[in-house]
Order: sequence, then C-alpha cells, then structure tokens
Amino acid sequence: MLNDVTFGQYYPVKSFAHRTDPRTKLLALIAFIVALFLTKNFYGLALCLIVLAAAVIASRVPLGRVLRSVKAIIILLIFTAVLNLFFHGGEHLLVHWWIIKIYREGVIFTVFFIIRLFLMVMASALLTLTTTPVELTDGIESLLTPLKWIRFPVHELALIMSIALRFIPTLIDETNRIVAAQKARGADFESGNIFKRIKAIVPILIPLLISAFRRAEELGDAMDARCYSGSKNRTKFKKLKFGWRDIICALVFAALITGVVLFNVYAARIFPEIYEYIRLS
Amino acid sequence: MAEISTTTENVITFENVKFSYPASDGAYAVNGVDLAVRRGEFLSVIGHNGSGKSTLARLVNGLLEADSGKITVLGLDVAEGKNVLEIRKHVGIVFQNPDNQTVASIVEDDVAFGPENIGVERGEIGRRIDWALKAVGMEEFRHSTPTRLSGGQKQRIAVAGVLAVKPEIIILDESTAMLDPKGRREVIEVVQKLNREEGMTVILITHFMEEALLADRTIVMNRGEIVLSGAPEEIFENGEKLLTYNLCLPRITEIIKTLNGADMGINDVLRPEELAAQITGKFNEKGICEAQSSPARTAEISSAHEWDIDVKNLTFTYSRKSPFATKALKGITLHIDDGEFFGIIGHTGSGKSTLVQHLNALIKLPQAEKKRRKVKAKRGRPAPVLPEIRVGAFDLADRKTNFKELRANVGMVFQYPEYQLFAESVFADVAFGLKNFRKNLTDEQVALAVKESLEIVGLDYAEVKDKSPFDLSGGQKRRVAIAGVIVTRPNVLILDEPAAGLDPLGKKEIMELLHRLHREWCRTVVIVSHDMDEIAENCTKAAVISRGEVVMCDSPAALFARGEELVALGLDVPLVCKISDELRRSGIVIDSDCTAENFAEKVIEVYREAGNA
Repeated sequence: MLNDVTFGQYYPVKSFAHRTDPRTKLLALIAFIVALFLTKNFYGLALCLIVLAAAVIASRVPLGRVLRSVKAIIILLIFTAVLNLFFHGGEHLLVHWWIIKIYREGVIFTVFFIIRLFLMVMASALLTLTTTPVELTDGIESLLTPLKWIRFPVHELALIMSIALRFIPTLIDETNRIVAAQKARGADFESGNIFKRIKAIVPILIPLLISAFRRAEELGDAMDARCYSGSKNRTKFKKLKFGWRDIICALVFAALITGVVLFNVYAARIFPEIYEYIRLS
Repeated sequence: MAEISTTTENVITFENVKFSYPASDGAYAVNGVDLAVRRGEFLSVIGHNGSGKSTLARLVNGLLEADSGKITVLGLDVAEGKNVLEIRKHVGIVFQNPDNQTVASIVEDDVAFGPENIGVERGEIGRRIDWALKAVGMEEFRHSTPTRLSGGQKQRIAVAGVLAVKPEIIILDESTAMLDPKGRREVIEVVQKLNREEGMTVILITHFMEEALLADRTIVMNRGEIVLSGAPEEIFENGEKLLTYNLCLPRITEIIKTLNGADMGINDVLRPEELAAQITGKFNEKGICEAQSSPARTAEISSAHEWDIDVKNLTFTYSRKSPFATKALKGITLHIDDGEFFGIIGHTGSGKSTLVQHLNALIKLPQAEKKRRKVKAKRGRPAPVLPEIRVGAFDLADRKTNFKELRANVGMVFQYPEYQLFAESVFADVAFGLKNFRKNLTDEQVALAVKESLEIVGLDYAEVKDKSPFDLSGGQKRRVAIAGVIVTRPNVLILDEPAAGLDPLGKKEIMELLHRLHREWCRTVVIVSHDMDEIAENCTKAAVISRGEVVMCDSPAALFARGEELVALGLDVPLVCKISDELRRSGIVIDSDCTAENFAEKVIEVYREAGNA
C-alpha cells in the first residue's frame, strides 16, 4: 500500500530538531550546503560532519534511518566516483593498468567528493525526517513573504502546495482502489513489453483524472462557500515563532561557516605534513 | 456595504425562481420555486436524484445564479454581486463528499480557513476554532490529519469549518449520503443540537426519510418544483403521492399500511415505540395480553457445495513495519455456502473491505506471494498459524493457482463502481473485463455476452452501447459498471456497498437487480453493507465484522435477535427488530424474519387468531 507516502519520511518523535522552527531548519540546510561547497579541505569537511552528527543526535532519529536516505543516490554516487577516480589527473601515479591511470590526487578528490555528497543528502533527509510537509509549506511560505513586494503570488503558491499535500493521500487511496477494481476485471499491469504496460495504464489514468477534476470542482465550491476570495483582507491564524532553539541553531551554523572559512585560510598551518598529503589540487 | 437584516422573520425567500443548467437544453432544474424559510427553523428537503434539491442550496449562496425570479437572504438580494460575499458569511453549506471539502492537512488549519478568508483577527480565530470543534465534539482531534479520520468525523470537521465563519443558516447538501449509520447519527446529532441550542436555521437536504422526519417542516421536490410542504407527519401520510414522486415510504409507514389493510386501524406514527404501543393497545382491546406468533421460517439453501468459500485464520496488517502499521484483520474464520445471498456487516474501518479483497486474491495470502515474506517463529512462542482461503476448487494459499481464472469466477464490484469507468463507449467498457479474461473469443461472442449482461442489469443494449459511459445518469453508470463485472459470468459475485449514495428508489432497484442476478446469473452473491434493513430484507445469512474479527455469523433473524450486542458494537438494528423488542416487553412475541412484510403478516396472523379464539 502506498498510503503513507505523504508523510514522506517524517519520523514521529519529539526532539530538539523536531521542535525547531521550520524556517530555521530550511535556512540551516542552506547554510550547511553553502558550508559544504565553501570548504576546500578535509578540516572543513570534518567540521561539517561534526555539526551533522550533532544534528542527528539532537533529532533522535536512528542513524540507520538517516543513512537509508543515501540509498536513493547510491548509483549516481558510484558512477561519478568512478569517473572521478579514472579521469582525475595528478602527479603521484598509483595504478597504471592498460589505459587506466589512477593518481593519488584522484583518490583524495573522490573521497572528498563522496563525503561532501553524503553529507548533503543526509542533511536534506534530516530536514524531511524532522519536519512534517505541512510545517515545511508554512516555512517556505513565510520565507517567501518578502517576494510579495515584487507581486509574486506567495499566498496562492502556499495554498496550492497545501491543497496538493492534503490531496496526495486521498488520490493515492483512489489510485489503489481503481487499480484493484481493474485488476478484478482482469487487467494486467505486470507483464508484457513497455508499450503494453503503457496501454494498460489507461484504465487507471482516465478514471483518476476524471475523479481529480470532479474533486477540484467540488473543492472549489466548498472554498467559495467558505468565503474564499483570494489573498485580499485575509488573515493568518498560524504564525511561526522563533524560540531559544532557533538562536542556538543560528549560532551553530554561523560558527560552522566561520569555521569553514577560517580553515580555508589557515588549514595549511595545522599539521602541515598531513595537510600536504591530503591537499586537494 | 449592504446591511444584513437581523430582524426579518424569514431568513431566506424564493419568489418564482427558475434555473436551468447550460447543458440541459433549457430544461429547468429549478422551476418556479416559492419558498420562505423562517428564522430558527429546521427544514428538511427530500426528492429523488435530479429533483433540483442540491441546485436549490447552491442558489441560496450564489454558487449558481437564478435565470429568473428573486432570492433574498437576510434581506439581501443574491443577484447583486456585491452581496454575495456578505451572504456567504451568513449561509454555510456542508457538501456531500467529506474528502472534497478540506483544504488543509491539519484539522485546526482547516477550520481556520473560513475565518481567515473573512479577515478575522488571530486571537478570535483561535476562540472560534475552540468553539466550533467543541460544537461538533471533535476537540481531541484538533491536531490530527483529516485523511486519517472516519467519514463521520471528517464530515463533522467540515461542519466545524463552516461554523467557524459563524453563519446563521447552515445547509447540509446530502452531507450524510456517503456516511455509515454511525457517522450519519453523529452529524445529525450535531446539527440538531445547533438548531436547538444556538437557534441556528438548518436546511437538511437528504435521501434518508428517517432523517427528514427530524425536521420541523419537510418539503418534497420533484422535477424542480416543490410538490409537497408541511410537517413531516403530514408529508408521510401522503404515502401514495410520495411514490409518484419517485420516493419511497419510510419502512414504518409501509408496515402501518399493511396492518391497516387488515383493518387494524392504526394511526400514522413515525417512531417504532409509538407503533409498538399502538399494536399493544389494539391487542389489549381484544383482551390479549400475551401472544406468540408462529416461528419464523428459516431460508433453506440447497446447495451443491461446489463453490463454497472457506476462510481460516485470516490476518492482515496495513503498512507493516512502518510507524503507522494497523492491523485490519485479526484472525477471521468464515464459511459461505454455495448459493447463499450473504451479507457482511460492519462500519467503516472494521476490515470488511479488506476481507473481501482477499476472496479474489486482490490481496494475496503471504504464502502465495512471489517473494514470500517468511514469518519466523519467535523464540518461546508457537509458530504463527498460516491463513487459508478456498473458493470452490481454488486454493488461494497455493502459489501455482491460476489467479486470473479465479478472478473471472469471483466478480468484485467495488464501492461507487461508476468511478472506475474509463472507455469511450459503454460497449468497450463492459467488454474490457471479458477480453482480459477470455483472449480467444470471436467478436460475435463478445457482442453477445455484452448484450446479455447489459440486458440483465436492465439497460437497453441498442440504446446505450455506443454512448459514452460518462453521459449516463448516476444509476445507469452503476449498472454499466456492474455489467462490466458480471460479463464473465462469475460464479461468485461480491459487491462492496452496492447501494451507497443512491436515492431510495435507486437503492430498491439495485437490490432487485442483485436478486435477479442471484436467481439467473451467479450462484453466490456476497454484499458488504452497513444498512441493517438492507441486510434483513435481502440476505439469507450474514456475518458481523467488528475491529477485524467475526463477531457473529447467522441468519438475519437470529442475528438481530441479539440486537443489544449489535448496538453495543455501535451498529444499528433493523426497524422491525426495534418494534418487536418493544412488543416483547409487553408480552407479545412476534417471531418474524426481520423483513417488514413478514413482520406485518405475523402481527395480522396473531391478531386474527386472537379474534377467533
């Protein structure tokens, strides 16, 4: 059953990370990614790793759940890693076999690259693991609010996102039901070549579309009847509020970026021999 | 800004209002309606599908605009564009489908939607949410997700969402049609309370005669006109007239009619207790204080046991291994004899739909899955018992079973089957299943099979075969959908809520159709239902499912004799049983098979015998 897709990966426990304002978490994620791309050496990367580890601990989500998110991009990761490994030039040749040349610099760069990507994906996963889609929508809406000045339809966008979220489980239920009903009439979705399979989807797609339109129409009526008339004169019940957790977060991530920048400047002076060995070209 | 009037006696008035839908070639959906709704009134509106009652609701708050005539709400003319928003603040509408009215994924956000729209300030919105959720009894669900609630709960949230705007008038547009009896009761109780305690004007549009009875006044619509209007008791005295408007009599009125056919002289009443009191009175007049009818006949099923259905130890868990895992079935053991008209009773979420989906392997048993999930015995505990299902000669626990052939033999009609129609013509849609199952039929054979199945569901083959299924009426669509399932001539036909959402006459016709299919087409019919009267009147045997377990399985008469247990499970008992129970208390035992007809016959029988003695 596909029922729980909308809750995405949300991991329902109470923790520091769960209670942090979604806006803070979104901004923190952006800061983290910026830090990852700013850093030019392993020291900065290690700092990022420490911050992420602290965040995982503060989220009370089992490490396995966070690691599982990497599964989705593992193929991409291996592919790019192999490319990097083979085609990265350098001075210190390690392996030379047939046309394949692997340099020490290539290995170091690949490791660096993989860790960076790992950290990025895990951080994004941590956001969705600790934030419900609804909170995320609220957060995005709130962060986009300044765009109202350039007449960007922030409210409409937020409403569309919220309705989409609301209807995902309903439409998934509906899809399950239609699939079951057509299966009961002998429809076969699992065998045959690609064209046959595409054709087999028609008896699902058409009822689903018709039903989605019917729902949209009814929802429109229901919204009209509840006095919806666009964003004019509209108030908002839920206001996000920053708290002490958000201050801590802000400090941590400010420290992270500062740390990364400092490492970029002064890294060569810390354990110079090691630095020299693992230096990225 | 237009001013609303807070003093007028009539909150809504219609003066000779006409309305036609653009696609209807000028046929009026509402044709010359005059109506005045008084402040604080509880008005019910009944009428068959397409009689114009929902159109009426949409005209009131300007979702539709009348062609001619005048509608005023609280003294404001609806036709004037600038009034519409003001009117909508004062008239709330709750629609039919509980899923299509919520905009947010959290209950309180959804309730806040209305007040946000009209610019209520934040603190006040909070207070309104508190109040509205309390009024519908849903405070504890404030932070829940609507999709995880039951139909009745969702609909109460929809009511709360409307209440939060603080309307003076609330319209329920068939808001109970898609709910089970429990959900219906919940919604109606909320509305009654609002009418009584908050003095809110209520307009209840409904298919259920029993609900219409609760109002102060009832109007009956037919072809866009108001044909009857008056107190519910008066309306239902006009029994014959209601039939001509394509409506049905409430069951109690039917019983009274039969009794009076035997000169018992019973007055028209609408509540089972009152009828029981009257019957007792009549008996006492004749000097009878105690009486006993002949025992109820039990329907004998003569069967070859060729297509028996046998379910053993069936368990099923949704979303296994996720934090949202729910156990839908907890060890079901059930036997359905070949030839039975079997009923499965239970409210939404009891697991009955999950159960029937196992019967044609839409949900396969774990042993039959391609990738078998091995259930390991935990240390210190006995190995788990594997579920077994047999349908006729098919063993559903066996991976090698021909599941396609099974599905051709066990037809399954889902709830609202018309929503699964997809083809460009009725013919193609009905033929879809047949072509899937029987690959080597000639075109003539297919055409013949389609013709026969369309005819048995009561449609004219020549007339509908080339039409788009989407151009048909609701009842016709459902028939086409059923034809699309029975076209393979299944031996067992399973229907999930076959009559859901239809008007009373449509329900009656569908049940008649099922009996015809049972006689002429299939061997066994299984219906899933929460309508006790439907089960009592149609089934030869029924099982009650509650929280994933079979609680009882017996003939309807035997089941409903244990009415108190059913009520304890949150289910209802048929009307006849309510009357019989009352009579039993005063010493008169009427042993009927729980159908209205049989009950009335038995009462007359006892009455006559006593007269002769």
